[in-house]
Amino acid sequence: MEIEEIIKKVWPRVKKKHLFPHLPLPTMIEGGDDCALEIKSKQLSISNAFYEKLKDKMDGEEIVEAVLDHGITHYMYCPWDFHTHLTLYNEAKKVVRQKEQAQRATTYFMDVVTDTYCVKEKNTKIAQLYKNLPKHGMYEVLTSLYEKIWGENLGSGGHEELVNRLSRIPYLERKRWRESIKKFTKVIQDILEKEWENEQQSSQREPNPLGEHSLKNYSLEEIDRGLREFATAVEDLQEFRETVDDLREELEEKGYGTGGMGRGKANPIDANLLYYMKLAESYTLPIRKLPIEKRGYLHPHAHMPWEIGKPFADIDIWTSFGKIIPGITQIWTKREGETHGEFEGTPDCLIVIDSSGSMINPRERLSYAVLGAACACNAYLKLESKAAVYNFSDALRGNKIVLDFNHEKEQIYQAICRYFGGGTAMDLADITYLLSRANNPDIFIITDMQITNLERLIEFFNKIENRVTAVHLGSNVHTTRFKDGTEKKKNISIFNVKNKEDIPKIVLGKVKEYLASPAKWR
Amino acid sequence: MKNPFEAFHQAGVRKREIPLDKILKSKEETLSTILKGYEDLLKNEAKDLVWLMQYSTVIKAYSIAEKGIEGIEYTAEDIEEFCYALDHSDQIPYLITGPAGVYISALCNHAKEEEIYLHLRDLTVKINLLGYRLPTDKKLIVEGNVGDFTGIGLDGGEFIIEGSGKNYTGAGMKRGRIIVRHNLGFNTGHGMTGGELIVGGRIKGLGKIVGGKIYERDQLIFPHEGIKPFSF
Amino acid sequence: MKNGYYQTKIRGIYKYISDNLYLNRPDVEIKGEHFNSTLLFSLLTGINRGKELIIGEPGLGKTTSAEYVGSILYRYPLGVIWGSEVSGHPEQTEEKIIGRPHLGELNKGKERVVWSNFAQIPVKIVDEINRLPETKQSMILNGVDRGNWEYLNEILINDEYSLFATANYQDRGTNTIIAPLIDRFDVLIESRHPGSNIAYIIGKEASSNHPLRHPQYEKELHQILRGDKPYEEKMTLAEGVCNLFGDYLKEHLGLEGLNKDERNNVNEEMVEIDFDLDTNAFVRMALAELSFCHKYGQKRSVEVCEEGCHYTGYLCHHIKNCASNRLPISIRNYAQALAWFLEDDGVDIEHVRLIIPHVLAHRIQWKDSYLSKKEGEGRNDPFQIYLAKEATEEIFQRYNEQREYLLDALSVGYRAFAGEEVTPLEGDHPIYEEIKKDIGVKDEKPL
Repeated sequence: MEIEEIIKKVWPRVKKKHLFPHLPLPTMIEGGDDCALEIKSKQLSISNAFYEKLKDKMDGEEIVEAVLDHGITHYMYCPWDFHTHLTLYNEAKKVVRQKEQAQRATTYFMDVVTDTYCVKEKNTKIAQLYKNLPKHGMYEVLTSLYEKIWGENLGSGGHEELVNRLSRIPYLERKRWRESIKKFTKVIQDILEKEWENEQQSSQREPNPLGEHSLKNYSLEEIDRGLREFATAVEDLQEFRETVDDLREELEEKGYGTGGMGRGKANPIDANLLYYMKLAESYTLPIRKLPIEKRGYLHPHAHMPWEIGKPFADIDIWTSFGKIIPGITQIWTKREGETHGEFEGTPDCLIVIDSSGSMINPRERLSYAVLGAACACNAYLKLESKAAVYNFSDALRGNKIVLDFNHEKEQIYQAICRYFGGGTAMDLADITYLLSRANNPDIFIITDMQITNLERLIEFFNKIENRVTAVHLGSNVHTTRFKDGTEKKKNISIFNVKNKEDIPKIVLGKVKEYLASPAKWR
Repeated sequence: MKNPFEAFHQAGVRKREIPLDKILKSKEETLSTILKGYEDLLKNEAKDLVWLMQYSTVIKAYSIAEKGIEGIEYTAEDIEEFCYALDHSDQIPYLITGPAGVYISALCNHAKEEEIYLHLRDLTVKINLLGYRLPTDKKLIVEGNVGDFTGIGLDGGEFIIEGSGKNYTGAGMKRGRIIVRHNLGFNTGHGMTGGELIVGGRIKGLGKIVGGKIYERDQLIFPHEGIKPFSF
Repeated sequence: MKNGYYQTKIRGIYKYISDNLYLNRPDVEIKGEHFNSTLLFSLLTGINRGKELIIGEPGLGKTTSAEYVGSILYRYPLGVIWGSEVSGHPEQTEEKIIGRPHLGELNKGKERVVWSNFAQIPVKIVDEINRLPETKQSMILNGVDRGNWEYLNEILINDEYSLFATANYQDRGTNTIIAPLIDRFDVLIESRHPGSNIAYIIGKEASSNHPLRHPQYEKELHQILRGDKPYEEKMTLAEGVCNLFGDYLKEHLGLEGLNKDERNNVNEEMVEIDFDLDTNAFVRMALAELSFCHKYGQKRSVEVCEEGCHYTGYLCHHIKNCASNRLPISIRNYAQALAWFLEDDGVDIEHVRLIIPHVLAHRIQWKDSYLSKKEGEGRNDPFQIYLAKEATEEIFQRYNEQREYLLDALSVGYRAFAGEEVTPLEGDHPIYEEIKKDIGVKDEKPL
C-alpha cells in the first residue's frame, strides 16, 4: 500500500533525525481514522484511514514523518520511561483527584511537551499536521496554545486566558515537569471536568488524534523497573498506593502481579506489599553463594621460572628440558586444595517483627521496621535460603502470625506487612517452635523494645547460639536494658535506626559480614 | 598542544527560538525583578530576620513594597509565580510571611488586572497580611488557606478566600467585602469600621468591631442583639 | 579499492559462515540489517586487528566461531589454526605459549628460540583464557597488547594479528582475568545458544572433511612455521601458501579471504572514516561519566564515592574504576570498522551505540549496590553486557536531552582553548567540568 511505501522511505531519515531510536520499522493499521498512531510495546503503527483522510490536505510523506516524529519523541523524550509516566500521573492526580481526568491531563501534557520539543529541536511538520487536524474541546485549546508558543498559524484561536496561563509553563525543562504538570492541570481543570461529564453522559470518549498513552506502551520489565523507581521517589506510601490502585486493572491485565511479572490475572495486586517490595529492591545485597573450605593439603598448581637459590625439590624436569639453567628451568608452585564446605549455601532466617500499637502502621506510613525486614527477607531469599516470619503484637492473646520457613516472597511480605496495633508481648514458645523448623537459622528481630516480657526475651537470647541481628527503633530505657542484658553474647548484634537510610545500610552491613564468610557461623 | 575541541569549531548549532522561549525568559526576568523587590523589603524591614507585626511597621513595609514594585511590568500570573517561588524556590533565602504578605498585597493592588486569582492551595505556608488595603476596583480571589491579618485595612475591593483564614481577618477594614468559604480564627473583624465579612464556616471569635457587617453561615452575627459596636 | 569491493568479500564470508558453519540467530539490528553479534564482532575483530573476548556456556561455539573467522579471513587452513591455539589450564607454560629453546642448540650451549605457532601466525586464539593462572596471564600481557613476544632475550614482533580469547562463566576451575589483561581486550561478546530449532540442525550436515581444512597446505605451513628461517621470511613464505589456500576457498566454496595487502588497504579505508559531531560529543560524554570524580579529580578504584555527591545520578557514582585510554581507542576502531563494513560515509550514533556496550562491558567494575539493584532485572544478555547496554542507553538519554547545549559548550571550549575570551557554559553533567578543566578554568570545590 502507498502508506507502507512511504513509511519505508521516510523511516531512515526520521530515525537519523532522532538519533537512531531502538524501534522497529513502523507498520500500518487499517481503521481508526480519528487516531493517527498506535504505540504498543515500542511498535509504532500508523492508521491508514487517518492517512487517507489527511492526504488531500498535506503531502503524504509529511504526514507520515510528522506522525512518526510525534511517536518517536514520546519514546525518546517524554515520557521516556514508565517511572516518568507514573510521576506525571501522580502529580496530575494531586490536582484533579479523579483517575480518568488525571490520565487525560497527563496525556495532554506529554503531547504538549513532545510536540513542542519536536518543533523546537527537530525539523518537523507537526505544526502542519495540527493545522489540518479537527479542533474541538481540549484540542482546540491546545492548538491555540501551540499557535502562541510555536509562533505558527494553525487556524485556531480563542481561549486567550487559558492560553496565556498555559504558555507560561516551561515544558522543555524536564526537572520542572512535576510542578509544570500541576500548573497545567490546574489551568485545564474545568475543561477536564466538562469532558468527563460529557463522556459519562454519552459513554463515548474523544480519542486523542495522535494516539493514546497507556500501559500498553510499556513492557513488563519497563513497568517493573518504573514501579521500583517510583517507590523510591515518592514522598510517602499513600501516593504510591493511590497510583497503583488506580492502575490496578491495567497492571493485572498485563499480567503484572504483586510477586512480579507474569503472575497472571489471578493474583491481585496489593499496593502496600508492592511498595515495600519495590523499595526493598533498591537496597538488596550482593552475597556470595558458594562457600569454600580449604582442605589443608597442597598440590602442584602452576609453573614459574626457577631462580638460583630456590629449592630443587619442586623443579619440573619435563618442562625444564632436563636442564638446570636459570631462564629455562621451571618449578611448580603449589596451592591448597579447595572443596565445598560441610554447610553449603546460607542459613535460613527467622524474621521477628513487632507490629504493636507503638509501631507505625505500614499501610499508612513508611514503616522502617517493615522495610528493614523486607531487605533482610530479600537478602536471604536471593541466596536461596528460606525465611520464616513471626509477626507479633499481643501474641499471648492471639495477635500474631507464625509463618513457617518457605521461599514464597509474597507470603512472607504479607506476614511482615500485617499490622495488629495492640499490646506488645511475645510468645517465646512460637519462636522456639520456628527455630526448630530449620537448621540453626539466623534471627532478625526488629522492634522498639517496648515489650512487656522483655526480660524473658533477653533470657531466651542469652541461651541460644543462633546469630541474632536485633534492630531497635529509637532509644529508650528498654533498648538500653536489652543492650545491657545481651552485651556478653557475641552472636548478637544490635543496631539503632533513626531514619530510612539507617536500616538498609545496617542490615546490609551485618548480613554481608556474616554471610560473606559463612565459615564464621559454624 | 592540539586543540581537543577542534572538531567542534563550527558546531554553532542552529538554534531555533520559539515564542515559548521568549515568554519564559520574560517571565524569569520579571520574577527576578519582583524577587529583588522583596529582598530589598526584607533588608530594610526584617533586620535579623525578625519582623514585628505592628500598625506602623505594616504601613512602612507597604510603602517600601510599593516603591520596590514601581516600574515593573507584571501580570497576575507573575504574582502567583512569586507566591510559588516563596514556598519552593531556592531563590528566596528566607520567607517571613508578614513582609511577604504585604509585598504580595502591594503587587495585587497595583496589578493591571481588575480580577486576580491566586492559586495558593499547594503552598505549605499560610501567608499573612494578604489583601491589605485592597482598593475599590479590585477583586482578589485566593484558592487555598491564608494566614493572620487577612484583608486588614480593606479599602473597597472584593476579597474571596476559597479556604480558611486565621486570626484578625478583616481587622480595620473600611469598606468592601471579604468572603471566606470555610472558617476563621479569633479576633475576626477587630477594629472594622465598614464593609462586609461573609464566612461560610465557623468563626472562633470576634474582635472589637466598630462598624460593618459580619455573617456566619448566612446569619448576620454583627450587628446583633448580643453584640454591640465597639468604640475605641 | 573502494566502492564496496572489500565489503562484498567480508559479507560473503559472513554469509558463508552463518549459513554453513556457525548457525545462530541474528540478534542485533543496525541500519535495517540484522546480524548475529558474535559473528559480526568476530569479523570486525579480524579486519580491525582487534582483540576479542568471547564468553558463553560450554559448547556454544565460542572457539569454533573464532577459528572459522580467522581461517577464512586470513586464509589459514583450519588445521593450522588448531595447531596454533593456546588452551588455558594451570599447567600451561611459557614454552608452550610463546617459544622454547632449540634443544639441539641448547645442548651445544647456544641459545636459539623456537617460536610457537601461536606467537607466529596472525590468528591467535586462546581457549578458556580464564583457566590460565594469573601468573601466566601476566606473561602474555605484552604479546596480547602489542604483538611483542619475548623469550630468552629474543623478540618476535607481529606486524599484524587478531586475538580471540574464549572464557566460560565462573566456576571452580576458573580464575579471574587480571585487570591489566582484561583491559587489553577491545570487545566482550557472548556466543549464545541458537535456540532449539537451530540447535537441532547443527551438525546434521557435517561431513568428514571440514571444508576449511586442507591437509597439504596445512603440512606446508607447519613446515614453514617450524623452520629455521627468520620470522619475516617465514611469513612471506606462509603468505604464499595462504594465497594458494585462498584460491582453493574461492574455487571450492566461492569464498574470498583477504591477502595481507588487502587487509592493509581495508585498514587504511577504515581509518579515514570520520565521526560525525553527534557521535564525537556522545563518546566524550560517555568518557566523562566513566572517568570523572567531582571529589577526587578522577575515578580511582581505591577511592570510594560517597552518598550526597552532586553527581550521584551519573555513572561515575556507580562504578569503582576509571575508564582507561584503551576504551576510546577500541570505540573508535570498532565503530570505524562497523561503519566501513556497512559502507556508511561516516560513523554515527547508531554505530557507537551498538559498539560501546561490548567495548565497555568487561572494563567496568560496578559497585556492589548497583549490581544488586540490577541483578534481578529481566534481560537477554549476560549480566556484564546488559549493564553496559543499560549504561549506554542512560548516557544516550542524557545526550539526547542536552545535545544542542553540549555541542554549544564544546564549540565554546574550542574558542576558549584557542585563546578567545569566552565564558565556558555551565551544565549539570561531568562533561562540562571536563571542558572547564581543559580550558584551564579552576574548579572550586565546596568545603
